[in-house]
Amino acid sequence: MSVLSKLKEAVICLKAGRVTLPYPAQAQPVPEKFRGRPIFDAAKCTGCGGCANNCPAREILLFDLCQEIRILQYLGRRCAYCGRCADVCPEKAITMSHEFETGTNSIGDIQQRVELFMSTCQRCGRCFKEPSTLEQLKLKGYRVDDVAHERWVFRSKSYLETEPVVDDIKIEMD
Amino acid sequence: MVAREKLSRLKEKFGTAIQRADLPGAGRLFVFVEPAALKAICQHVFRDLDARYIISIGADDRPFSGKFMVAHNFAFDKESLLTSIATYLPADNPKVDSISDVVPAANWAEREIHDLIGIEPVGHRYLKRLVLPDGWPDGVHPLRKDFAWNQVPEGYDDTREFKFDEPPEGCTVVPFGPFHPTLDEPAHFRLYIEGEMVRGCEYRGFMVHRGIEKLAESVLTYNDIPMMAERICGICGCVHNVAYAQAVESAAAIKPPPRAEYIRTIMLEIERLHSHLLWVGLACHIVGFDTLFMQSWRIREPIMWIAEKISGNRKTYALCVIGGVRWDITPEVKDELRKLLDKLEAEWTPVVAAVSKDKNIQKRTRGVGIADRALVKNMGLVGPVARSAGVDIDCRRDHPYAAYDRLDFEVITEGGCDVWSRVLVRAKEVFESIKIIRQCLEKMEDGPLQLTIKDELPVGRLGLSSVEAPRGESHHFVITGENNRPRRWRVRAPTYQNLQGIPAMIKDQQLADMTISLGSIDPCFSCTDRMETIDLKSGVTKVWTQEELLKLTRTKKT
Ligand code: SF4
Ligand code: SF4
Repeated sequence: MSVLSKLKEAVICLKAGRVTLPYPAQAQPVPEKFRGRPIFDAAKCTGCGGCANNCPAREILLFDLCQEIRILQYLGRRCAYCGRCADVCPEKAITMSHEFETGTNSIGDIQQRVELFMSTCQRCGRCFKEPSTLEQLKLKGYRVDDVAHERWVFRSKSYLETEPVVDDIKIEMD
Repeated sequence: MVAREKLSRLKEKFGTAIQRADLPGAGRLFVFVEPAALKAICQHVFRDLDARYIISIGADDRPFSGKFMVAHNFAFDKESLLTSIATYLPADNPKVDSISDVVPAANWAEREIHDLIGIEPVGHRYLKRLVLPDGWPDGVHPLRKDFAWNQVPEGYDDTREFKFDEPPEGCTVVPFGPFHPTLDEPAHFRLYIEGEMVRGCEYRGFMVHRGIEKLAESVLTYNDIPMMAERICGICGCVHNVAYAQAVESAAAIKPPPRAEYIRTIMLEIERLHSHLLWVGLACHIVGFDTLFMQSWRIREPIMWIAEKISGNRKTYALCVIGGVRWDITPEVKDELRKLLDKLEAEWTPVVAAVSKDKNIQKRTRGVGIADRALVKNMGLVGPVARSAGVDIDCRRDHPYAAYDRLDFEVITEGGCDVWSRVLVRAKEVFESIKIIRQCLEKMEDGPLQLTIKDELPVGRLGLSSVEAPRGESHHFVITGENNRPRRWRVRAPTYQNLQGIPAMIKDQQLADMTISLGSIDPCFSCTDRMETIDLKSGVTKVWTQEELLKLTRTKKT
């Protein structure tokens, strides 16, 4: 009996032929809906903070440098490519790209930083239209995430101190 | 109603020891009892009423009720009832009677409660450290509410060593681990060997305990957790994703729209298909039968692609949010899925036919890794391990969730109690999954994918959910809480129980059968981090470094 099954198994193998792809020299093309590295569009983003509040990996930091400027930083370290940020963004400013081979020796390659002009915005949170109560902004007001150490700060403030809060952030201006 | 009948039986027998009960809906029963009577009640439920033990949960409820809580969960599989027997304990020096001498399966869960919450199970015979790392100071319990999620305990001692037990007389210790290619987490077994025979073992695991439960109850929000839950397991992630969402939904009395239920079912079955094919391949690989390993993985690959097409990722589907799902199944995908199922069926049938007659593989797997009915009962073993011992349990049928109550399928059982039976169970379940997906595609109705949730979820409600993962029942327990996140979330993956059956399954068998016995409950494979190429003309071998590989993936040029 066993010889027969061996023969049958051989037929299965022969029929299959060779199917392996020469990855990484050539990759299987990804489908349309593929969720790769999220890309932020600075032109569309209003700085509402919805994505930062609903990122499970706490990958998106917000830092209000002063009344007029809010920094949004995508860390690119432990992003789960879940696409929740793109889901909740009311401005459709985030696209899940098709990039998935994002291994790098310098994290700066995949980090993104958006500098937003907020004018007289009081960060009341009304610009963020939550899809349901479960996505509501819990941290309204000014946010002071620890950009230097790439950590979320689980607090927000209703007013900004007149003095700069932290001085370890430099904005590159041209 | 079954729940009411069980409750009145308990009340009859234990009277006022039953303090209150909650029957939130069909299939769920929460009984709150006096601490002193907990053990007797659990014994009655487990032995006399013949319930299946699921898991024990400890919770720090001090900020809300000023007390600690312990709950033991049981399932009445025949009657579709999940029940939780809970008790509240005083805030200082919390102690509870251990049930592990009457319910042996509670061994680990009670040790975990002791480690993480600091509730002492009085009378536990083997209260050794289970979850916390070796250097963690005694008396510090990370799941207590006054311990911050990001706190580093004072007195953490890197040099402290774990004290292993003495091996029995005449036995040599053979270490197995800390890494094992067939387990999806690092695990360390110390095997006690006499000649070629395994006489016993000690297990030290939990090396990659990531504290996801703690994160969930202090940092994440309701809709963040599904994406994290999915990362509990690399193979059955969607199971945890769905089980969590269902546990919250059951606590908050939310019913997702029917289309969402069908899509959940389809994705769960797609996951089962890929997991079963992966496992059958791996089991063959472990016993040295690489042909089938290759073929079963080849047949599996298109399933990954369709999952990627539906959800955007081949493995992490990120499927659920509370009250629904995120991805739709379009008519185009529907057609493709149908074709794929036909092809899968056509390819898998000859494989099963050839393998089920293959003597070589049977020689390696028959009579190996025996787990009989008694062991299944005592250790609470689940999934294919239980079904291979003729124990007819399957949460899809016994505790229907998603759309399973509207579908027609069979639960496959075998009687061999061994690895071979597990191979057969899983190989045959592939056909049932195909059947289920086909029915779903047929019956799926149009409609919304998500229920719009307008109010905050109620606070302090209990929710249970059991989902049949490819390797057994995954059980999630949730207490809803404030600030848009649960107060307590307890996950019991199937391996938690199945691994406890291993010492009995490997006892008095050959050392060489250890890998397949272990592999038969829950295998996984780590990827290698380097690549070797051989130039066919010159025969020169080149080992690629990590940098070169990175460069190659980015530029596609060598
Ligand atoms: S894809 Fe997910 S993990 Fe990554 S930034 Fe967006 S929400 Fe966060
Ligand atoms: S949710 Fe969209 S608009 Fe709001 S901060 Fe994020 S990217 Fe900008």
